[in-house]
Amino acid sequence: MKMKSVGHPDLSIRIGKMELKNPVIAASGTFGYGQEFENFIDLSQLGAIIPKGISLSPMQGNSPPRIFETNGGILNSIGLQNPGLQDFINEKLPYFKKIKTNLIINFFGNTQKEYVELARRLDSLDGISGLEMNISCPNVKQGGIVFGSDPRMTYRLVSAVRKSSELPFIVKLSPNVTDISAIARSVEEGGADAVSLVNTFKAMAINIHSKKPELGNMIGGLSGPAIKPIALRMVWEVFQTVKIPIIGMGGIMKAEDAIEFILAGASAIQIGTANLINPQTGIEVINGIKRYLFQNRINRVRELIGLFKV
Amino acid sequence: MTTINVHCWLTMAIQTDGIVLKNRKIKSIYFLLEIDCPSIANETKPGQFVMLRTSDDNHPLLRRPFSIYKSYSTLHPLKRKRGHFLIFYKKVGKGTEKMSTFKEKQKVNLIGPLGNGFIVPPLPSSAASILIGGGVGMASLSALGEVLGSGKLYVFIGGKTKNDILCEDDFPKGKVFIATEDGSRGKKGTVVDLFLSEIERFDRGRPHHVYICGPEGMVHSLSRMIKSKKWIVQVSLEARMGCGFGACWGCVVKTRDTEMAYHRVCKDGPVFPLSEIVWE
Repeated sequence: MKMKSVGHPDLSIRIGKMELKNPVIAASGTFGYGQEFENFIDLSQLGAIIPKGISLSPMQGNSPPRIFETNGGILNSIGLQNPGLQDFINEKLPYFKKIKTNLIINFFGNTQKEYVELARRLDSLDGISGLEMNISCPNVKQGGIVFGSDPRMTYRLVSAVRKSSELPFIVKLSPNVTDISAIARSVEEGGADAVSLVNTFKAMAINIHSKKPELGNMIGGLSGPAIKPIALRMVWEVFQTVKIPIIGMGGIMKAEDAIEFILAGASAIQIGTANLINPQTGIEVINGIKRYLFQNRINRVRELIGLFKV
Repeated sequence: MTTINVHCWLTMAIQTDGIVLKNRKIKSIYFLLEIDCPSIANETKPGQFVMLRTSDDNHPLLRRPFSIYKSYSTLHPLKRKRGHFLIFYKKVGKGTEKMSTFKEKQKVNLIGPLGNGFIVPPLPSSAASILIGGGVGMASLSALGEVLGSGKLYVFIGGKTKNDILCEDDFPKGKVFIATEDGSRGKKGTVVDLFLSEIERFDRGRPHHVYICGPEGMVHSLSRMIKSKKWIVQVSLEARMGCGFGACWGCVVKTRDTEMAYHRVCKDGPVFPLSEIVWE
């Protein structure tokens, strides 16, 4: 096979049978339903887009205030507000027809039955490249955290959902567990194609003047640069445990952060919080990875995965 | 109460750099920032805002929202103002602290114009336009005032002290009523008390149009006070925002919408019909 010139490094990666033109994915919950970003970037340039998570029925979300800035981070307790599957199909899905990238649907349920039904119904739709199952939202019990914190329950849920859809299947993990590798192993044994990690860290802030919590829901999830070193460590641990691809995330603000995650073992990365601050982040990260590969004379981003020298 | 469709401005927000032209203290902790940014200045409607990045190094992390106080399109008669817009800010935290150090000619990254502005319906001659605001909330009311003209206009401005009274000179003289909590300017008390003391003026006439912008407590008290009136009231809400352009759902307010109660202040507002808001 002819080698590609280093002037045009190959950024493509594969997750299950899903081909991504680059490893940069817009993370669920920070990218609205895609359209919110159309004035700022060409969405088709991203490796994949994951819109805000959906459930079978509409969800109202948590009481405000829902967001609070901390040092280097953002606390949020949105509470998975979403219009439900049917409205999503009618109102949000058609927009993605003209977007030339992978659409991955993030979904969650209250019960195993709901998870299975969502996966089955999403499987029957056109225009969806893959699924990301949320078993990790810290803000609502129904966000699946009850499934995602026990390896046996994780295994049971993942294998049930696996049987109801043939779409490339990613499971998004919570960092709020004792041993994230054990959960990742269950996800792999359950038959998922990839794991994505990490969701936000349970956290809180108190207003010392009112002596009340800064968030309406009291406890929220922490994201942003503050969590990056912990997320990176977790990706590295999971990389040593499972063989399925890892999608790393947690405080990635620039290409250098993304490259760290890839070196630690991530096949792809997600941009979350940074989208809110600089909508161009995804595009800038793609260009930065390209530049890094070029400068280091690496032909394919795949060669970089787990290249961390220990 | 008549409902107003606040979704009729078609906004096209962009992300762009602006150039700082002036950044000066007006009084106490209030600053006025003038930015050269034709693409935003050309498109702005009263009540809209920008998200401004106060720092490149992620400290602070999030952008900060600011109402657009004045904007001059590239066709504006005042040549030296063309393509500029102004914002008022109050130095209260890390973000505005950084902003107060902005130097002339410095680049500043912006997203805007954002949100739905005020709707200005044609007024029957017997109806008045009543503007009620406090602190930096006066910025968007001042922008609105320019569009309303000087017809039957009444402006109520409140603040803790005389240093918190902003924008009074932007309105025709004799139309402005001022209240301060310490009594250092105008009537002693809150702007809500002041408005209540003048409310009989507005008992006659057609449904008046009321425009409110200020702290939540003020808006809430006013809302209780004028609930029984058949007025058309628009309120511009303040909220902690994540993105400012509708992606994160962090800045919601509870509304009477029975299908989905929480609406985004940034995208569905910041101007809402007061009757739609549910106070928690």
